[in-house]
Amino acid sequence: MRKKYRDPQHLHPFVNKIITVLLGILAIACIFPFIYVVIISLTSEETIVKNGFQLIPEAWSGEAYQYLWSMKGQLFRSYGVTIFVTVVGTAISVLMITFYAYAISRPQFKYRRFFTMFAFFTMLFSGGLVPMYIVVTQFLELKDTVWALILPLTMNAFYIIIMRTFFMKSVSESILESARIDGASEWRIFFQIIFPLSLPGIATIALFSTLGYWNDWFQALLYINDPDLVPLQSLLMKIESNLEFMRENMDVANMQQSLFSTIPQESAKMAMVVIATLPIAVSYPFFQKYFISGLTIGGVKE
Amino acid sequence: MKKKLGVLLALFVLIGMVLTACGDEKSTAKNGEDGETYEIKWYTVGTPQPDTEKVFEEVNTYIKDKINATVEMTQIDWGDWDQKSQVMINSGEPFDIIFTNGTDYIQNAQKGAFIAIDDMLDDEGKDLKDTINPTLLEGIKVNGKIYGVPSNKEAARQTVYTFNKRLVEKYDFDISKVSKLEDLEPMLKVIKENEPSITPMATFNAYLPYDYIFNHEMPFAIPFEGDTDKVINHFESDLTMETYKTMHEYFNAGYLKQDAATSKDSWPMDVENWFVRMGDSQPYADLLWSRAAKYDVVSVPAEQPVTINDSVSGAIQAISATSDNPEKAMEFLNLLNTDPYLRNLVDKGIEDVHYTKNEDDVIQDLPARIERYNVPTYSLGNHFILYLYENDPKDKWDKFQDFNESATEAPTLGFHFNSDPVRTELAAITNISNEFYPALATGSVDPEEYLPKYNEKLKDAGLDKVLQEIQKQFDEWKSKQ
Repeated sequence: MRKKYRDPQHLHPFVNKIITVLLGILAIACIFPFIYVVIISLTSEETIVKNGFQLIPEAWSGEAYQYLWSMKGQLFRSYGVTIFVTVVGTAISVLMITFYAYAISRPQFKYRRFFTMFAFFTMLFSGGLVPMYIVVTQFLELKDTVWALILPLTMNAFYIIIMRTFFMKSVSESILESARIDGASEWRIFFQIIFPLSLPGIATIALFSTLGYWNDWFQALLYINDPDLVPLQSLLMKIESNLEFMRENMDVANMQQSLFSTIPQESAKMAMVVIATLPIAVSYPFFQKYFISGLTIGGVKE
Repeated sequence: MKKKLGVLLALFVLIGMVLTACGDEKSTAKNGEDGETYEIKWYTVGTPQPDTEKVFEEVNTYIKDKINATVEMTQIDWGDWDQKSQVMINSGEPFDIIFTNGTDYIQNAQKGAFIAIDDMLDDEGKDLKDTINPTLLEGIKVNGKIYGVPSNKEAARQTVYTFNKRLVEKYDFDISKVSKLEDLEPMLKVIKENEPSITPMATFNAYLPYDYIFNHEMPFAIPFEGDTDKVINHFESDLTMETYKTMHEYFNAGYLKQDAATSKDSWPMDVENWFVRMGDSQPYADLLWSRAAKYDVVSVPAEQPVTINDSVSGAIQAISATSDNPEKAMEFLNLLNTDPYLRNLVDKGIEDVHYTKNEDDVIQDLPARIERYNVPTYSLGNHFILYLYENDPKDKWDKFQDFNESATEAPTLGFHFNSDPVRTELAAITNISNEFYPALATGSVDPEEYLPKYNEKLKDAGLDKVLQEIQKQFDEWKSKQ
């Protein structure tokens, strides 16, 4: 019997099949909950009360989306707030983190150990909720401003450390040296050399920041009372926690039923999840581009 | 390294000093004492409403002449309330009035977050003190002092069995004879056999006639009748055993949902899938519930009205210790609770915008009231000066009065246990109770087996020590009454 030729770059077809199936199952497991959410959002409310959640509901209905359309004023407003906070927040956050990380990554910087410590210290010990709240509301007076949603999340010691390591590992000192010899200023070095060279790292941080800002509801819970400044996730969270409150306080709910008449039902909640998640899911591919291109960089031979 | 740490510390201290300096400067401003109008900051619970600003413009023009103050009311949404209000209080944020209730009220009062208003009640709040039900003020005393203005409404609790009236009439049940859990059996049986789409019992915890030190889940109670001086673990009593046995029989017979112990289903009234449920009543509650349900319900009492700590502290407006001008805040609360025009303005909105009123002072909501100014009545203040709705009975507030007067005072009314000495034991006991209570109270497990197990575990966790401590504090408190 002649042995079949096997390309060492390729897997045995059988193994390949098994791996494909396994990865397929994993992929389905990841995407299934979201599909389920979409299905529930399209189920009629009556069916949910009667049968619970079902994969193939007895009756379909678009009433949840109609409901969302009826509250479009608040919804668009919240969308606007979330987008503004995410875009501006990510920009500020990435700039501040890379500035800080770049400075402490360079051996010429005299106080780099102190400032590394300074950032690292906050990872070990944090002031906690109440001091944070005091700083934001009473000293900075950010309560009920959009900055209360942006500023508390801009700096992140963990990302700073990641970026510092990234700068140290991926940007060789000799490149900077050659730039200096050509007479480039520090600003020019940072924006024209460091920035493009570090795009994969920066894209990672930017993605984390974007996700962080998009999904954040806690800052809004603490600092925002004005309904005009409530971001999308916080709106969703409010609906969820109001439902929870209603469940625990049926006496209040039943005595003054009109109070809670505006709280949406299960299907509307899921419709809202769909609407709140889609844009951020769509933004993923944009970042992905940088992750792949990052691997092809190499400018120095030593 | 040492030097650098020193620099770091110095930096922190410096920043701290600069920041506190800023803080001080601000707090001395606008005190409103030299004839200037003081702005009262008021935080209360509820979903923020679009027309709040509009309504409070009216409020402010009205109260400016009366007490030379204006009010800024901020509502914090139901679900956010606990966490947000707690952070606000802990951070010492300056504001004047805040809504509070139940154990939150007790804890914050003990902590010194609120101002004791006893003296102010004889001065700025005199009218208020004259109108409010004295039981309410007596009941919310913490260490002998009053720390807030309770909403003057029903002061007592009455637990009731509520029935779906359509089914009661269909099968011609005589519910007037029902007074305890055991009486339900024949009806549940009929419903179970004939109404497949109805769950005979909406999930509830079996009622036990005890006055609880903490809540119904914790094993510390004093019976309403009998020896009312002694704190006991009511899970050891024969009555509890009997009740839970009955509940377990019902569970086995399928009268309850099988996931009763773990379910979070709230059994909303407007879904007609139940026959009997338990709830806390107030005069004309059936009317309100029927309106909420859009079909008729009817209730029979499971107990006589009783005034307990929970029922008097259901809704309180407290004056914050961080208020710059507590007297003005008290003047406002006084006016809010005694002036019918102001009270209705804050509660119902602006006449002809949010509601219409006929010549008998009977009102009807306009759509704007539901859509743009829908605030929780119970939290805001005195109910007895509120306008009645068209479909409200004329004697609604008289019935409330009768209800309050007919109630008996619970043995622990006004007693608030300080749990500091037994904190560890209580944490362990809470965990054990969370494990056993829901299963036992919904009849999901056999009490003959699990109740003794529960009690044994409680004993191991230090139940006796806590009981002794409660007894000690209770006796001390009692001797001072």
